[in-house]
Parts: sequence; C-alpha cells; structure tokens
Amino acid sequence: MYNELHARSAFSFLEGASSPEELAAVCAERGMGAMAMFDRDGVYGAPRFHLAAQKIPIRAHIGAEVTSPSGWRYSLLVESREGYQNLCRLITKMKLRAKKSEGLVLPGEIAEKSHGLICLTGGDDGPLAHALARNDEGANGAAIPETPIERATQCVEQLCEIFGRHNVYVELQRHFCRHEEARNQAALAIARKLGLPLVATNGVCYAGPQQRELLDIFTCIRNHRTLANAGRLLARNSERYVKSPAEMARLFEDLPEAIANTQVLSSRLKFTLNDLGYRFPKYPAPDGKSEMQFLRERTQEGMIPRYGPPDSPAHERARPQIDRELALIEKLDLPGYFLIVWDIVRFCRANNILVQGRGSAANSAVCYALGITAVDPVGMGLLFERFLSEERGEMPDIDLDLPSGDQRERAIQYVYERYGKLGAAMTANVITYRGRSAAREIGKALSFDPETLDRLASLVSAWEYKDEYDTLACHFRDAGLDPNHPRIRKFFELCVAVQDLPRHLGQHSGGMVVCQGQLDSVVPLEPATMPGRVVVQWDKEDCADMGIVKIDLLGLGMMAVLEDSLKLIRDDYAEEVDLAHLPENDPAVYSALQKADTVGMFQIESRAQMSCLPRLRPECFYDIVVQVAIIRPGPIVGQMVNPYLKRRQGREPVDYLHPSLQPVLERTLGVPLFQEQLLRIAMIAAGFSGGQAEELRRALGFKRSQQRMRDIEKKLRAGMDRKQIDAAVQDTIIQSITSFALYGFPESHAASFALIAYASAYLKCHYLAAFTAAILNNQPMGFYHPSTLVKDAQRHGLKVKPIDVACSDWLCKLERYKKGREGLAVRLGLRYVKGLREEIGREIAPQRAARAFSSIDDLKLRVPEIQKSELAALASIGALNFIGGKRTHRRDALWQIERVARRAGPLLERPDDDSQANANENAHLAANANAESGCESKTFKEGVNSDGGAANSPLAAMTTEERLIADFSGTGITVGPHPLAYHRADLQRQGIRPASDLAKIPDGTFVRVAGAVIARQRPGTAKGFVFLSLEDETGIANAIITPQLFRQYHITVVHNPVLLIEGRLQNLDNVISVKAERVLPLSLTRADLSSHDFH
Amino acid sequence: MAFASIHVPDFSVQAVIRAEPALRGRAVALLEGNPPLANVVAANLSALQAGIELGMTKTQAGDFGVEIRPRSPAQEKTAHAALLDLGWSISPRVEDTAQDTILLDLAGLASLSGTDEAVADRMAQQAESLDLVVNVAVASNVEAARLAARGFSGVSLIPPGEEAQYLGCLPVDALLPSAEILETLDRWGVRTCAALAALPVVELSERLGQEGVRLHELARCADSRSLVLAEPGHSFEEEMELEDAVEELEPLAFLLSRLLGQLCARLEARSLAAAAIHTRFELEPSFEKDFLRANDLRRKPPSKIYEKTLALPVPMRDPKVLLKLLRLQLETNPPAAPILKIILTAEPGRQRVAQGGLFLPVAPDPEKLGLTLARLTNLVGDGNVGSPEIADTHRSDEFQMRRFHSPRETSETSGKSERIAAGAATQTAELRTAAIFRVFRPGVPAVVELREGRPTRVRFRGMRGDVLAASGPWRTSGVWWREDGWHNDEWDLELQFHSHTTQAKRGLYRIYFDSIRQSWFVRGMYD
Repeated sequence: MYNELHARSAFSFLEGASSPEELAAVCAERGMGAMAMFDRDGVYGAPRFHLAAQKIPIRAHIGAEVTSPSGWRYSLLVESREGYQNLCRLITKMKLRAKKSEGLVLPGEIAEKSHGLICLTGGDDGPLAHALARNDEGANGAAIPETPIERATQCVEQLCEIFGRHNVYVELQRHFCRHEEARNQAALAIARKLGLPLVATNGVCYAGPQQRELLDIFTCIRNHRTLANAGRLLARNSERYVKSPAEMARLFEDLPEAIANTQVLSSRLKFTLNDLGYRFPKYPAPDGKSEMQFLRERTQEGMIPRYGPPDSPAHERARPQIDRELALIEKLDLPGYFLIVWDIVRFCRANNILVQGRGSAANSAVCYALGITAVDPVGMGLLFERFLSEERGEMPDIDLDLPSGDQRERAIQYVYERYGKLGAAMTANVITYRGRSAAREIGKALSFDPETLDRLASLVSAWEYKDEYDTLACHFRDAGLDPNHPRIRKFFELCVAVQDLPRHLGQHSGGMVVCQGQLDSVVPLEPATMPGRVVVQWDKEDCADMGIVKIDLLGLGMMAVLEDSLKLIRDDYAEEVDLAHLPENDPAVYSALQKADTVGMFQIESRAQMSCLPRLRPECFYDIVVQVAIIRPGPIVGQMVNPYLKRRQGREPVDYLHPSLQPVLERTLGVPLFQEQLLRIAMIAAGFSGGQAEELRRALGFKRSQQRMRDIEKKLRAGMDRKQIDAAVQDTIIQSITSFALYGFPESHAASFALIAYASAYLKCHYLAAFTAAILNNQPMGFYHPSTLVKDAQRHGLKVKPIDVACSDWLCKLERYKKGREGLAVRLGLRYVKGLREEIGREIAPQRAARAFSSIDDLKLRVPEIQKSELAALASIGALNFIGGKRTHRRDALWQIERVARRAGPLLERPDDDSQANANENAHLAANANAESGCESKTFKEGVNSDGGAANSPLAAMTTEERLIADFSGTGITVGPHPLAYHRADLQRQGIRPASDLAKIPDGTFVRVAGAVIARQRPGTAKGFVFLSLEDETGIANAIITPQLFRQYHITVVHNPVLLIEGRLQNLDNVISVKAERVLPLSLTRADLSSHDFH
Repeated sequence: MAFASIHVPDFSVQAVIRAEPALRGRAVALLEGNPPLANVVAANLSALQAGIELGMTKTQAGDFGVEIRPRSPAQEKTAHAALLDLGWSISPRVEDTAQDTILLDLAGLASLSGTDEAVADRMAQQAESLDLVVNVAVASNVEAARLAARGFSGVSLIPPGEEAQYLGCLPVDALLPSAEILETLDRWGVRTCAALAALPVVELSERLGQEGVRLHELARCADSRSLVLAEPGHSFEEEMELEDAVEELEPLAFLLSRLLGQLCARLEARSLAAAAIHTRFELEPSFEKDFLRANDLRRKPPSKIYEKTLALPVPMRDPKVLLKLLRLQLETNPPAAPILKIILTAEPGRQRVAQGGLFLPVAPDPEKLGLTLARLTNLVGDGNVGSPEIADTHRSDEFQMRRFHSPRETSETSGKSERIAAGAATQTAELRTAAIFRVFRPGVPAVVELREGRPTRVRFRGMRGDVLAASGPWRTSGVWWREDGWHNDEWDLELQFHSHTTQAKRGLYRIYFDSIRQSWFVRGMYD
C-alpha cells in the first residue's frame, strides 16, 4: 500500500498549485491512508492540511523542505513532537536572521536540531541530486571525491551522521525523465551500499495533471519570465500529480520495497498537530499569590467603581454572576489569560491610550469589572456562555479596540517587550489571488501588454453584488477582447483556477499570539516587513483552529478620533470630557439620530443606517445597540428588519415564537436580532446548556456542514419535543435559528460599538469643531470622503478655514475667531496637500513659530528641502496667498515659486527681490498682519488683486472653476461653496430640486435631483439594486437604481461624478429617496470630485 | 523672404487612404499591435466624430461602423517620400521637418510660380494629385509657417508683421514645449500663444530658463531660424511601369539589369553601396487564375503585390553580382502572375573599405559567400540556412537557425563573444556523453507493436525489428497555451532487425509516440 510522502501545496508560494485541502481530498479519493506535506521553508499550510485530513480522515504528516546554503533543500519529516519543535526552531532561526521570504539553514544548526526528524534524500532539489550534478569542491575543504557517485555517497553518509542511519531514507521519484532515472540508479546503488531503506514518492506539486499549467504560470511569476521565454524553467511534463497507489506500484514494480516502505515510514510518524504542546503564559502574580487569587482580588477591586460598594443593590445583583464566571475561569485554568489582557488594558490606561474590549468578551462581568470592556453584561442581561463555556473546550477570544496608528503600535510593542521576541508574535494574513491580482499576473505570464493588463485589471469589478453580467467573460468583452480567442480562453481558465490560492504572507492587522516559554517551538516565526515585528507562519483562523490563544489589538479609527477630540477639547475649549461618564440620553444626540443627521458618526453613518434611523427613531442607548445590529446581513437576509420596525411603530402586533421565549425576545419586540437571543432560544425551547448553544452557533458558522446541521436539528427537535412545543412552532424556531445564526451580530459586540457610536454622536453634537478636526486628522476612515465631512460640518455652522502656510500645521487644528460671533473654526492641515511630503509639512510649523515667513523665498530658504512641485501644490490651492502678510492670488504665488525654485544665485538676484535681506522687515509686517487677523478667515476674494504689492504677476487670477479644480485636485476638499452652488440658478431653471427640498415634497411626486456622487453601493443583500448618494450645497439626496436601469445606464452611473436623476420621490416615514427612472450625466465642473464606491 | 509649410493632418490615416483610394471620404481608424491585442492608434476626424477613441481595441472600434485598417509604416514612408517630392518639385530648398510636415524656402520663386498665394494654391493642388490633403501656410518666418500649417486647415497666408496676431489663438502645446513647462504654463492659466507672448520675457527666463525664452520667441513669431535643408534623393528607388506584362525571367532580368545599373550609379555618385535591395512588383490581375486558386483551399490566395528583400552580407554595388542574387531569389520564389510594375529600392550603406587583418584566418570573400548562401537558400528554403542553435525548451528536436555571419565580420566585431562561446563549448564538451545520437529529421513514421504498454516490435523504412530491450517512456509535454503544443512519450530501444538478404543486425534507436498526432515515429539512432 502506497502513501504519498512528499507533496508540496500552494503554501510553498509559487512552487505548488493546489491547496492543502484539495491535496488531502484527492489523496483520500485515491485510497491512500496518509500523506506528508512539505512546504518550502515553513509549515504554512500545515493547520489546513491537518484539519482537512482530520475530516476525511487520513493521517496528515508534517514536514518541510528547508533550504541549505548551497541552494538544495533538506526534505524533513516530523516524527515526534520534539522533531516538530526542532523544525519550528530551525525555520525560525533561519528566517529571523534573513530578510522577509529569504533564509538558509546552516549545517551546524541542522545537526543540533535533528532529533525527531527524518530526512529524505529528496527529488530534483534534494542533496542527492545536487551532489550528483555539482562540479564544485567539497564543503568545508573536505577531500573532493572524484566521481559523482562517490560525491553522492559521501553526501548521504553526511546525512546519516546528522540524522542517524535509521532516520535517512533514500528517495526515489519517477516522472518519466531520463536524468531522473539515472539519479534513481545512483540512489539505488548508494542505498544498497550503505544499507539504507528506499522510499518511493511522487514529489507532488498539484492534485491533478491539469494543474501543471498553473504551476508553469507560477514558475513564470517566480522567475519574472513569460511562458514564451521561460524555456526549460517550465515543467517537463504533467506527472507531479497525486497518483493512485496502483499507478505508483506499477511505476515501481521493480522496487516493491520502495512502495512498502511508504507504509513503514508513515507508521513511524507519530506526530500530528493535535500534539502541538502549546501553553498559554502564566501571569507572574506578586507576593506568592496564585493567579486565581490575584484575579479574584482584581475583580473584587474593579467591581466597586463598576457596581458600587459591596452592599449596594447593583453589586449584590452582579455578585452571583461574577462568582459563577470566576468559578468557570478557575475550572478551565484561564486566570492567566484574563490577567494578561487586564495587564495590557492597564498599560494602555497608564499611558493614556483609549482602549475598549469588544466582541463576546463584553458578555463577561469579570471583563467588565477588570475594565477590559465597557458594557455591563449584568445590567443588559447578556449571555456569558456566548463568551466562555465548559463544553466548548476552547480558548476565549478577547478583542481590544485601540486608536489606530502610533497608540496601537505602543500597545503591540508592550506585548513584545513583556513576552519576549520568541514569546509573542503577530498572526499572519495569507494574501490570496483575487480578481485583479490574478488577472494581472497571469496576463503578464501570457505576454499581454501592460495597457491591456491595466484595462483588464481595472474592469474586474469590486461590487459586492455580482449579477449575471458581472463575469470575467463580460469583463473581457468590455475590455474589447474576444473571449473565444484561444489565448483569452486560456487566460480566463487560469484566472478562475488561481482564485483564492495563496500568493504571499502578510501580517494581520492586530492579532497577536503569546505563548508560555517559546512560541518558536509551536509555529515558526518570521520577520515582518514592519521593523520590530515578528509574524507567525499561520493566519488568525489557523491559530484559532490550533487552539492558540490570540488577542486582537485592533486599530479603530474612531477610537483615535475620540482620543484626539478629547485632547482638542481640553486644549481649545478648556473643558474636560470623560467618555466613561458622558451624560446619558442627551437630547441633541437623539434628535440628530432620529433625523439621520449622522455623517461621521461611528457605525450609524452609512446610507443604509441613515435610511433606517428615521424609522427606528432611537430614544435610548439600547435603541442604538439595536440600530448598530439591525443593518447587518443577518437581520436583512433573515427579513427581521421590517417586522421589527413595524412593531416599533405600532403597525404590527408584538408576538413571540412561543410564550416561553417572551423573556428572551421581549426587548426586541419578539423579533430575534442578536446571536445571544438565538442561543437563549435554543436553551429555553430545546433545553440546551449554554455550552451546547454556543456549539450550535459554531456549527452554524461559516464552515457549516450538512451533516452537522442535520445532527443539530435532530437535537433541537428532541429538546423541543421534550418541552412539548408543537411541530409548526418547531419549524419556525429552527428556521429562525438556522437562517440567522450565520450572519447575526452578537449583542455584546453591538453594545460595545453602540458605546462608541454614542460617544462619537455626543462629541459631534456638542464639540463639532474638535470632532471634525479629529476625524479629518484620522482619514481615511468611515463611509464618507473628507470633502463630504467638511461640507456636512459647514452645513452645521462650523467655520472651516483653508490651508494656509502662514497658519496651518501638518494636522487640522482649531482656531478661535471673532468675526460677528466668537467661535472655534477648523483650520485645515497641510496633510491634505497632495504631493507634500510629511517631513516637509511637519517642518513648516516650527519654522513659522520661530519667525513668520516673510515671503516664498524665505519659506524656501528656511525649509530648503521643499521641492518645486511641493511649492506648486501649495500655491495652486492658495496656501501661499497670505505669506508675508501680503494678499496675493494663487497665480501670483505660482508665478513666484517658479523663480524661487530656480534661484539664479546671489550675484544675479535683483535688489528688489524678497530675499533674506528684507526678511526681518517683512517678518515684522507678517507678524502684524497675522496678529491683526489672528490667522483670520480671508475676507479678501481671490481674483481681486487688491494691493498690487511686490508679488504682482502678469498672470490673471484663477476663475471660480479653476479654483475648484485646483482645490479638488490639490486637496480633495474645498472650503468654499459646494461646486453645485455656483450653478443653482441654472439647475433651478431646469426644475432640479435641492436636496434639502425633498423632505417637503409629497411621496410619489416626480422630481429631478442633481448632485456630486459621494457614494455608490451595490450591496450583496440588495439583489442588484444600486444606491447612490448625491451631495449638493444643501445636503445629501439618495437615489435607488433598479438592476434593469443600472444595466441601461451602467457607464453613466459608474463613471460620471455629477449626475442628474429623474424619478418618483419616495418618502416613507421620513426616509427619503428618489426611485430613478432616468440617469443623465451633468457637466458642471471639471473638478475631480471623489466618491466612496462599492462598499 | 517667405517660407511655406506643408502639413498633412492625420498623416497615418492619409497614408493608408492614399494606397486605397476607395476609403476617401470615409471614417477610418488604424490599428497597431499584435492581434488580438491591437489598439486604435490613429483615426481621422470622421472616425473620431463617430465615437472612435484612441486606444480602443478592434472589437470595440468595430461597433462604430468605421473602416478599420492596420497602420502601415510602409505606406507612411511612401507618403512621406511623396511629400518630400512635392516639396522638391516646388523649391530646391526643403526642410524635412517631420514625417507629416515639410518647410520650403520660397525665395526667388516669384518669377517662376507667381505670388505666394499662387504658390500655396499650387502646392495644395499638387498634393491633391498625390492623394494627400494638406494644410499649407506661407509666412515670412519659418516657425510661423510651420505653426500655422499645423494649427489651421486649408491654405493660410500670413501677412508679414502680423504673425503674432495671427497665431495668437493657437494653443501653447502647438509650440511643442516640454511636459514640465506645459504643466507650468497650464498652472499659470497661460493656454494660448498670445497669452504666452504677453508675458515679460526677462521674468519668464528667470522662471522657465532658455526654453521659456525660446517658446516666448515662437509665440511672438520672433524666431528667425533658417531651414535645415534635406538632401534630395536619399531613398534610392527606381521604378518602371511596363506596357506589356512580363512573364519570363530572361526579359525580366534584362530590365532588372538596367534598373540595377542606374541604382548602382546613383549609389556610386554618393560613395555609397546597397546594403539591401527591396523588390516590389505589381502583378497583373488574372480573374480565372485567382478564381481557381481562391477555390483551391489548399493554396493561399495570391497577392497582387510581389515583395522581396534581398539582404546583402556586406554593402555592395556591383550590378552583376546584384543581378545574380536577384535572379536566384526570383527562381526560388517566382511571382504568381505577370509583372506590370517594378520598383527597386536600394537601402544605402557604407561601402566596405577596410582590408582584411593580417592575423585573421582566411575567409571567403563576403560577396562570394553571400552568393553561396543565397544559392543554398534557393536550394533548401528560407530559414534553413545559418548556424543551428538548440532552443530553450524540453521539446527534443527543437532548434532554431541563427543568421550566418562571415568569419571576417564576426572577428572584427565580436572577438570577446567568441571567447565566451569557446568557453561554453569546452564546458558543453565536458558534459557531453559518450554515445552519439543521430537525429532523423523529420522523424520517420513507424509502426509499433505493444504488449502491456511496452514496445515489442517496430517497423519503419521497410525494416522490421524485434525489441530486445526497452527503456522508457520518457515523457515530455509543453506549450499548452498555444495550439502547437506537444505531448510525446519517448522510448530507447535495442532492436534486432531481420532481413532475408542480410545478416541480422542490431541497433539502438529512439522512437516516440506523438499523442497529438496519435502516431509513432523514429527520432533517430545511437551510433
């Protein structure tokens, strides 16, 4: 009986063409009982292979091909756990000292870590083949054997010395190649001479022969060649597929022992990934206390600020839940995990880093007491089992939200420091081939020219919804290529075949794993591209599947916005806002929410959320929790949204699936909206325990199998029979559970998000200037483009000042003004100047603080690294208009910068130039001018060159349109009127209504609206409907385009920045939209208006 | 002093229309690139108005109902030559400014051709007779004439002193500034020549340097450059239209000899020689033959034009040698129909002047070698003469022919590469195995009997051999992305042949099964 003991998967990155799952499946299909997977310099695909093999089941042996300094590779198989640990350490060592994707193992190192490993002599890349082929002298100055066979014998003897004679197998492969057979004959002679066992393998690189084509493509990508010029780098034939035992037996009928030995060797390989030996680190509790004791104390301590003193009612109510949780934590031996997360949170708090736990951890009262989460699960009646249960037998998952950027990096570095470089690492993120990357790389290998590739790649759609016209074949036709041409057809086939295969390893945004002792003995570590970071070879899901505890330190843009807002409020409003103690039920917040006036607010700003808010009309915090959770695929697909809203509006009676479920569903008016509710339904209706219910959720998760579904249904029905629930109700309950559990949002998660949503709404309503500056400083994030955020803030009365080198810093900031009324304005920061390097932008403010710039020459003199293109970018957007206290227009500045950037030298400078000689005088003038205006808003209208000063140029001032174009191309923002405002009179004449008018128009009226498209969406749940948000100077109008209409106006809808839409107005419960009947492009401006598309 | 400029708008398109007059007045788009990835690279106004955009693919352009043709560099070259001819037919002083533009000095033509206006009209008319639609501009300044011809359609006469005013409305990009300066001017809002001319020149020079000053001069039409005269007769083309079509080689050789004599005389006068001779015949259309051939699917439809290029090993101008070579070429590839028109074009090259090196090996005279190679080509066909080179592929018998260079030529230019090649040869010799394999080209068809998938008996070339020992199959496959992919199983066999006449003979052979053709072949034998 034959077992394939040498297979490479696509995780050998560009050296294998099948996924581990596919290899395992084909192996089982061919009737083999075991397979060994060797990936190149790693065990990247091992967890997937292990899990896939477990399901089939076959035995999954782990191995790796490890590169030697001479370029050949050791083929190492793991025999025992010690062997696995040695392999991981070996790979880690070679990887950590080299650049990303490189690394070689030194002979000394392999000798040191050879225990528990079995070495095969390998195929084309193995030591034996190399020894037979090479011409060089022996390693380390050893005597040079004369013939290839002597060299090869010496090489195998060296392997025996390293691994032990019993752990070296002479490998034979037969792919119908002459040179390979010559090697086999030599190998045979050596094996006989040294008394070593033979083993047959097929050096598998793909599951089926057809996949050789993909391997050839990968070879081209790896060697930067095309198929036409790759020559003999390509495969000789298609024989490296998973062959059946019968085929292999036929191939080796002259050497039956080589086949038989695959069985013998396989039986020696006892190690599986079930035996990983991972242990979570222990928390060093002080004063000789146990971890549990220390956790109890910290929880007790934390309960007082959260629930009040020990005799208070809230404390009393929480006590039993806390005790229950602590008991379970003790039983599962998890105190260390909670303490480690607590320790990270404590570090963040001590360093003024905003932090909040999210996800299922918010179901835990212990987490709440420890300050990890901010939602009271006792008060909200959340289900602890969703977080942790005895039955589940897996580690809990705590995600921490941190401000994105530097603050999060500090927290990550703290974890590295605390657990050491080999004790903590980021999880990987496997980057796979998707539409565009696949099209680009395969096209390149097939010698498509770059323009065609660009055209093809740009056509691959990014819509979430894909209709029947959204296929690769259609894209080819759109690109003007004939899909029936043989080369195009081949391209198409390969693009499809390569989808989802791994391309390279990236770094996960926030997942960290930690380990007691040495993480490098559990999974190999690699350096990340980012300095100071180490990454494990497995992705987040694989780590979870292997039972490795991960802590997600996620960067959340809104956390950074909140943190920055608090700082601005402290500095500029001289007020202190504590997010933990924001006023509850703030009327301004709820009024904004009910009007769907939520641009910029966390999680409730999208078009879909806005279309729900006026119907839901949130009145309390729990309504926000519902609001956050309701616009999700689960409730939408499960058709829960409309029933809930109708019941809330009193248009439908509240009823329950079963009277016993009333307590669970009461809060959501009888409509299940949260995952926890489904688990509770299972617990109440079918008598499931908490753990069983959580097991049910996982079974219904992304990797659901029909068999498991049937088992669960059986269990649910049995439970419900016991509770005497009749069959019809049982059907409804099962239907609710199965259709919803996949996409449902956990209530605890929604509650955590709702807290942030409320905080963002509160800050926007009460500290608009600070919130706007902060959100502009943390772009890109959220649903809208910065220009929309600015326009929205302006409509709310905020003064936004343009970028000005005489006033702006790198970041947006607040400025006090006193024109008419006193207030705070946002001054846009230099970060919005496209093409201005950050180091230059950051240099400007300190130079200006030392002394105001007297002229553009002075700016160039004191920030000498500034380039002409950067000066031009600043001048084009008017940022140099006020330099030196003189009022000029943009073209004056553009005229000046050309001379400044091309200095003639001191001898040839004209005496009346603004030069250093005049700097002091001008600085004085500038200081006066600034003091006078306090970096005032510009009353001076550009285009009116008022003072005729030295900066006069022969150029005409920019027209309004030119300024708009310059603003949008230079910053993406204009602080002046909205582009449509300039054309309102014309639009009015054409019967086009402004967005603000729509609320006053009766439902069903035929209207014409126009605006700059700020968002285009085609959600997966909307059956091909397209939603457009059009912005004009008065607000945002929404339009709905049917799939038929979209097909008719596809190009217009997708490519035109300003649209005119005609159709019937729909006004349902103040949710206003226009159902489009005709879509026309409007050519009002050439400004580059941006839209956030395809969410 | 007056200058004229003649500009051919949509030059590439006009060049194609000129060769195919039926396209006149139609919307035409030109494609360039390898199918299926060819893109539109030029289109006339009608095509652009119909919706064609540059960069479209053939399929996309096909939707607009325009005539689509491949871009033709040859026709462009002819059109350019015609344009120059037009210039020289008017004035001896002609500047070859660009492929689509020439400049002429009109000084002293008044007595011959009348007023500037008359000259301009004559140019436009003459262009029409050459199947070219042109813009003509006459100005007192070279650049003004050039700019006006590019910027305005039809005939433009610019009165002296009014150039700047006349050209003020032209966009600045007509001055062909560098991309960087064009960007700066755009930022400044300076978009016309008049706006540029209005800028103060000193300040402009501080900002845009000398190029700025030059552009300013151009915009003011203050440039006073003189023409860079083109030398006439650079193409060395001779042409003869025949009243009666010539069918036989002998009378044709007589005519060719005359033309070659003229060509060589012209080349000699310029101290040049012919590096290549392009032959182009226009053939007599023959309805019956064409019809018959069109219905015979095995044969390609004949071309109405016969074109061949005779590449010479070294530039030469001996009409006798050239005639011999041309005759050999014509014998190998005779035209498919009687000849109506002969066009011979000599590609000029420098005559070989250096004498052979003292220490260089004796090599055949290049002319003689060239003749020999041509004779060989005549015998064995194009692409089968040269140095064989193993192709980089797993396909067993794949090789390619590299053009053979005379030893002298090689030794003069590539001593270094020879040394490298010699090194490589030594290395290859080291790796060479002892057995020598004799390849049968093409493979010899064979009949093979199999037992359990292994060959047992082979018949080929009337011989029958029993397999004594077999090794294989050795499998190769490749080029799966094209239609000429292969999939072969090779076997090395020891065969014992039986014959009634001779004694039994043994031999080592390599046979293969071609899975695409489903046939067996003998690849060769081991010596």
